[in-house]
Amino acid sequence: MSARPTGTGLVVLCLIAACALTIMPLPGSIEPFRPYWVALLVLYWNLETGRFRHLGHGFLLGLLLDIMTGTLLGQHALGLVILIFLLERFRSRIRFFPPWQQAGAVFALLLNDRVIHLWIIALQGNQWPSWQWWLAPAVAVLLWPWLFLLLDYLRRQARVQSQ
Amino acid sequence: MSLGASSSAGGLAADFSSRIARLMAYIVLCMVLMTLDYRGFWVERIRTGATFLVEPIWLAVEAPAAATRSIAQRWQNRSELLTERDLLALELNQSQAQLLVLDELARENHRLRALLGATETIDRNFQAVELRDLDLNPYSHRLLINRGASDGLQVGQVVMDASGLVGQVDSVLVHTASVILLSDPDHALPVEIERSRLRTIAYGSGRNDEIRLNDLPMNADIQVGDVLLSSGLGGRFQPGLPVADVVEVERVPGQAFASARAELRARMQGARHLLVVTDPSPPAVASDANQRVDDGDSDVVSDAAPDVVQDADAR
Repeated sequence: MSARPTGTGLVVLCLIAACALTIMPLPGSIEPFRPYWVALLVLYWNLETGRFRHLGHGFLLGLLLDIMTGTLLGQHALGLVILIFLLERFRSRIRFFPPWQQAGAVFALLLNDRVIHLWIIALQGNQWPSWQWWLAPAVAVLLWPWLFLLLDYLRRQARVQSQ
Repeated sequence: MSLGASSSAGGLAADFSSRIARLMAYIVLCMVLMTLDYRGFWVERIRTGATFLVEPIWLAVEAPAAATRSIAQRWQNRSELLTERDLLALELNQSQAQLLVLDELARENHRLRALLGATETIDRNFQAVELRDLDLNPYSHRLLINRGASDGLQVGQVVMDASGLVGQVDSVLVHTASVILLSDPDHALPVEIERSRLRTIAYGSGRNDEIRLNDLPMNADIQVGDVLLSSGLGGRFQPGLPVADVVEVERVPGQAFASARAELRARMQGARHLLVVTDPSPPAVASDANQRVDDGDSDVVSDAAPDVVQDADAR
């Protein structure tokens, strides 16, 4: 087991890419559609290789995101901790779902995450986000199969075994 | 993964309840962090330190955009450049002619002030800054600019564009600074109505291009189309800078105060360049500039910018 490549390098690379995509400047009109890249990565690596199964991972990742994007410290952390908890709860089922059902589960998880964010935004007394804000999970689900294939390919290249 | 091992070995129910406990612990931790961050206790300092670490990431992400821009500039059409140059030359001529007139006025003003024995106005210097491409958080009205402490920026300096006030410098990093906008709900600005010389406080509305006057007397002399200038009370903003145009005045019978909406002069959409007003010699900042707005329901003023909000009692 220890002789096999664990793919930590690949995971870190993917995470850096996801962070870059998260804060990459986008034109204002398509800004709300930006998918939650880090969550998608966490979902993939959790389902396929069993990484990111600790709530602490989500917490630390979330804090990093909060600092990077200037949100309230703990906002993304809360979202990711709950996401990983729910994912772990239903992991064994989601893993053996057919692809379209898996995409549905991903959509539900991301939508739930948006609800958590909305709750925090509202608690802060901020303005209600526009309706396009809710489209980000849909965009993410549309990207999910391609991301899945891409990461599968990368993982095969790196010969990372699932756990 | 220790957890994976324990879930396969130990009982499922026990594992699940321990997970719930850990989830609760993390949720509470997040809540505490968020509250502390919102209230602006020591978390603010940790955050500033951490932002320091993140700054290289921002710069790296911005690099491709900057590179594309510079390449686009390099390949810009020669004829386009020539027409643009002609246009700018024309504009420069006009501005210079206006400046001549202003120069004369300034001299006259100087003489009059000397006659009256009034204090001299302070000279203002401007530093041109560029907006960073990153819009950090659509819910906080803050901007990142590409100058920081290494360029002599300080917290509290006034930021404006060609048409009006934009906001003030809120926090300063080495090569970056964040600017809090006038439209931020936590921001208050002492203003004066140009026509009637009525002084009041303008609060950020939370909408991008709007500020609100909430505590006008019912019989206040204000009407749609009035121009708001900064009044200079509180010592933070220079007096007489154009701020906004009043677009709506509301006098609801039975209410204690009239209120008004005003549209900001500064055009943030599509703007890339801003000016930071730097003073040649730092004036003694009035201590009351550090007090916070304390009106009714806005007692949850974010301490993310504790010394940003101007004193509402400056009147």
